[in-house]
Amino acid sequence: MVRLITSIVFLFSTTQLFAQQYLANNGEISFFSEAPMEDIYAVNKEVSAVYDAKTNDLVFQLEINDFVFPKSLMQEHFNENYLESDIYPKSIFSGKVISQDGKNAIVEGDLTIHGKTNKIKVEGILQQEKKVINISAEFIVKLEDYDIKIPTIVMYKIAEEIEVKVNIGLKERK
Amino acid sequence: MKKLMIFTLLVSSFFTNAQDNLLNMLAGDNEPIYVSYLFKGTKVVNGQSVELPAKGVLQFNIQHRFGTLNSGLYNLYGLDFSQVRLSFDYGIKDWLAVSIGRSSSLKTIDANSKIRIKRQVKDGFPFTIVANSAVYLKQWQYDEAQKEGFLLTNQLSYANQILLARKINRNLTLQLSPTMVHYNLVEIKDNANDKYAIGFGGRQKLTNRISVNAEYFYQLNDKRNNNVLSLGFDIQTGGHVFQLHLSNSPAMIDPEFITQTTGEWLKGDIYFGFNISRVFTLNK
Repeated sequence: MVRLITSIVFLFSTTQLFAQQYLANNGEISFFSEAPMEDIYAVNKEVSAVYDAKTNDLVFQLEINDFVFPKSLMQEHFNENYLESDIYPKSIFSGKVISQDGKNAIVEGDLTIHGKTNKIKVEGILQQEKKVINISAEFIVKLEDYDIKIPTIVMYKIAEEIEVKVNIGLKERK
Repeated sequence: MKKLMIFTLLVSSFFTNAQDNLLNMLAGDNEPIYVSYLFKGTKVVNGQSVELPAKGVLQFNIQHRFGTLNSGLYNLYGLDFSQVRLSFDYGIKDWLAVSIGRSSSLKTIDANSKIRIKRQVKDGFPFTIVANSAVYLKQWQYDEAQKEGFLLTNQLSYANQILLARKINRNLTLQLSPTMVHYNLVEIKDNANDKYAIGFGGRQKLTNRISVNAEYFYQLNDKRNNNVLSLGFDIQTGGHVFQLHLSNSPAMIDPEFITQTTGEWLKGDIYFGFNISRVFTLNK
């Protein structure tokens, strides 16, 4: 009996070990928003991600304070006033690739920003080249869905919707 | 039976949530998380804060100090008098900033450099430490320079500080500023050329954009005047920080407000003043 159990447990753990998993820790996620005074743009080049080709599970994670803005003051406001990165340091997407047609894929899952989680469904591109899987996508994030408040006294108005771009190359896990 | 339970436990734990398992693989990097934004401005009120303008950022400051609140309606409670200091701060590196300014009160040109030595780290090093060093040149008129014994070096004074600050929580920051002021020339022979003081500063955020600030400099030796106490509000808008404050000194340069403050709060010798700073990003 014990042997049977250990062998079963072993079996499961080995499937876990040899699963086709792809990893990244320097993916890029950027966002852009057109505003009357000045456009708001930032890029995060330290996004980590895992994709499990067997289960189609896909997970992204980034640190809010890794977003780099062309203007340091914007970066300060972003961290201090909007995203409150001291309280909510991370943003996480956790979901699945639900359909794939050639290189076009649809991903569905939970996106957590500013401590709020919403279900999202995004069309993107998932392309395998040898041992690298490239994922890219563009989608819109509504600030109010994530309880990000736009104050009235700031001099530059900020759009309610932000364009997010994802570009990540995941390497096969050894 | 027991074995069966262990078995089910093991299997169920395996099946719990594959995505969570994936997430666990992305254990965070071990980079230190620096604590940032200890103050909104590069000054607490009059004295320097541990904040530096970011690299490539030019900050233009306009500082105004009006007369005392107890100077009566005839002087519109001090608003008729005004002193101004204009200055530029520039971030050469993220840890190094220089500034140049000019005050109308003692007709003084000042230059200073700020070097950030250490940063507060979340769950790590407890303080942000900045060294501030400034030199002050009092301007002179042609006639003065013609007098015998006029020495350019006598127009100079200095202030050196170590600024030690800690963000206690997301709203409260406290700062300690041991300061040495040096005068090349003192008016009375008995006066010390080197004066030591210790500054206490702090800010408490009221909202994300408004904070209340306080600052006090205690003179340790050769105290000839009052200690300076200043209270104010920081209001942050888009590209500006407005600082509105009350102080018993109208001065805007360290040697003057630390050692030459004559006003007394309790007598109503309170000066209203403001600082406005605007940042320009020159390069990345």
